[in-house]
Amino acid sequence: MNIADFLIKSVSALSIGAGAGIILQAVAFFVPLYYADLYMVLAFVLAELSAFVVMLVKQTTMEQAALRMDGFGFEERIVTAYEQLDREGLLVRLQREDAMKQLREHGDRIQIPLMPSLKRTALLLMLLMISVGLSLIPSAAKDRAGELHSIREEAREKEDELEEFIEALEQLEQEELTEEQQEMLQEMAESLESSLSEYQQAVSEEMLAAASRKLEYKYENMSSQLSDLIQELQDGAGVSIASADAMEELADQLKKMRDERLARGDGSGTGQGGSKGNDQTGQNGGDGDGNGQNGEGTSNGQGGEGDGNGQGGDGNGNGQNGQNGQSGDGNGNGQNGQGEGGSSGSGRGDGSSSTPHDYVSVPNAVADSGNLTGNVGSHETSEFFRAQNGLNWEGEHTSYEAVIGSYEQNAYEGIAAERYPSGMEDIIKEYFASFNN
Amino acid sequence: MAELDRSRFNDPAYMAQRIAACEREIRKGIIGQGEVIRQVILAMLTGGNVLLEGMPGLGKTRLVSTIGKVFDLSFKRIQFTPDLMPSDVTGTNIIIKNEQGSSFSFERGPVFANLILADEINRATPKTQSALLEAMQEHTVTVGNVSHVLDEPFFVLATQNPIESEGTYPLPEAQLDRFMFKVLVRFPGREELKGIVALTEGSREPVIEKQMDGEGLLAARALVNQIPIADAVMDYLLEIVMETHVPNPHIREGASPRAAQALIRAARAKAFLEGRFNVSFQDVQAVAYPVLRHRIIPGFEAISAGITEDDIIIRILNRKVT
Repeated sequence: MNIADFLIKSVSALSIGAGAGIILQAVAFFVPLYYADLYMVLAFVLAELSAFVVMLVKQTTMEQAALRMDGFGFEERIVTAYEQLDREGLLVRLQREDAMKQLREHGDRIQIPLMPSLKRTALLLMLLMISVGLSLIPSAAKDRAGELHSIREEAREKEDELEEFIEALEQLEQEELTEEQQEMLQEMAESLESSLSEYQQAVSEEMLAAASRKLEYKYENMSSQLSDLIQELQDGAGVSIASADAMEELADQLKKMRDERLARGDGSGTGQGGSKGNDQTGQNGGDGDGNGQNGEGTSNGQGGEGDGNGQGGDGNGNGQNGQNGQSGDGNGNGQNGQGEGGSSGSGRGDGSSSTPHDYVSVPNAVADSGNLTGNVGSHETSEFFRAQNGLNWEGEHTSYEAVIGSYEQNAYEGIAAERYPSGMEDIIKEYFASFNN
Repeated sequence: MAELDRSRFNDPAYMAQRIAACEREIRKGIIGQGEVIRQVILAMLTGGNVLLEGMPGLGKTRLVSTIGKVFDLSFKRIQFTPDLMPSDVTGTNIIIKNEQGSSFSFERGPVFANLILADEINRATPKTQSALLEAMQEHTVTVGNVSHVLDEPFFVLATQNPIESEGTYPLPEAQLDRFMFKVLVRFPGREELKGIVALTEGSREPVIEKQMDGEGLLAARALVNQIPIADAVMDYLLEIVMETHVPNPHIREGASPRAAQALIRAARAKAFLEGRFNVSFQDVQAVAYPVLRHRIIPGFEAISAGITEDDIIIRILNRKVT
């Protein structure tokens, strides 16, 4: 009887589960619900599980079984006799004998069907078919749910990464640092938290890409700032090696993250496109081995195909007519070089992608206007900016000399590391020297 | 008739047979009204009083007198009228003068019988009606400072006319509650009426024979009280009574605890009468109508909508499916 009861309860529970599944699937037609199918399966599992639990908890007692048997025309003789088993008396004995007699004579009446009724089963099958059928019908909301899910997955990875960095920053021993340095670290942490918040609120590819681009920029800046800080600390006295090492490790990590992101193509289109310098006026061509020397590439960046969404950029983007972008390395084929063969030259140009910047600088005057709240740098209003004006990001001002200086430093580091073709060193040095004149 | 075997008064099967024989014998003198006969016998098996409600001429008095004959019980009929005094029912102390002087002596009223037919009980004043209260409930009569015990078995079968309300005093709820059953005596069908006419207007009256006596009836009652009831049946029975107290626009007042007691006893008696020694759900359902119909006070909505007490009971029984 327990089995029969369990089967009936199972069918009922599954019907309820199927009903819940239908509701979920119906909702998924209008509301992006990525896990609708999973939830539907869960509803089935839960329903079946609850039927099982109910069966375990509410096991049929002997009294219930007797009552059920009495339902086959025994007029409560069996249950009465069962309950009076431990009692004696004339009427009790007579009643027991009467019940046994009836049971012997009409016991064949008791037929409890094991399987649930056809009606219940048919209802369950119908509900199942409807729920499965609904899950197979595509809809815009379902597509959107898939899209949202992939965005959230990606964002979650970034969030984890950011949380690690924030935690690492917070764990740095700051007692030995000056107030200014501590403030800088604090700003870094806040900046990362801002990015974290952006990722948490990202609901579109565009928002995600924008957040990635900003983060990439922040990584680069922070890496540089941390390196400077380490340098300062190492130059100065009274800082523990452990602190310096931790910061260095963090800086390396940031740099590494940035490089990895670049390698993956994350956030391409941020002006990383290098210029493919066409050495149009190469002079002093080489000896015919095709290596143009002294090629002063005009460094018209080509390519720069960053699509602005961080997609497709390869990090070596060939900036075409890039403007104001960040410099990239490009290999140019020297033309008109003297000597035989096409001389190859390398040049650094101010190439940038044609991708528009997705952030703007917010000057104080605007930030303090009636439409905006908070001051620049307070990081209190980024949400507001985003909500009201799209992706706004407080600008940072870097002097022209600092930019050139940074490039120059990178170039000299490259020369020292022998990253450039032989003979190009002088050209590079002359190029940067020209800015100083 | 088969002679009563007093040595078998403790034999439930024998006693059930004798009671069944009584029912058959009563049916010889009363054409139709099978359900009424059955319910009156159930009440007698449990020691309860019965209120018979029906139009005049439906054989109520004949029924009671027939029962008296079959059960060999002393039978008194009291016609209730507005000028009937309580002492006319219970009896009174009278002055007796003899050689020793004068003294009071209690003169028993008609209530001192086994079977009382209180005919048209609602025509008497409440004071007189209430004179029956103690007799019905306690089976004693108190006159002055002396309580007189009534002979056992003692039953009151009261009748009332449902339509003639002028010059009547409706029974108060407290008194109604003391009747175990309220039995509706309905107008007979055509065939039954034909049988009644043939029986009463014919040349030969049927011979009604004694099938039981008061002692046997008390023995049967003792057996009935021992019939076991399963917990599930008891729960069902109590739920029915409780259901009359659930807020319901059709019910102004629900049944009293006496209703639960009456249900148990009546259901046991029904099982006994059917030769069964246990109470079934059907037994409870069958006796629910005569037990509850005078204990439920319909609300205004029910009265205005023409919903009777029986309709309310049907709904309760339908809600409380076994």
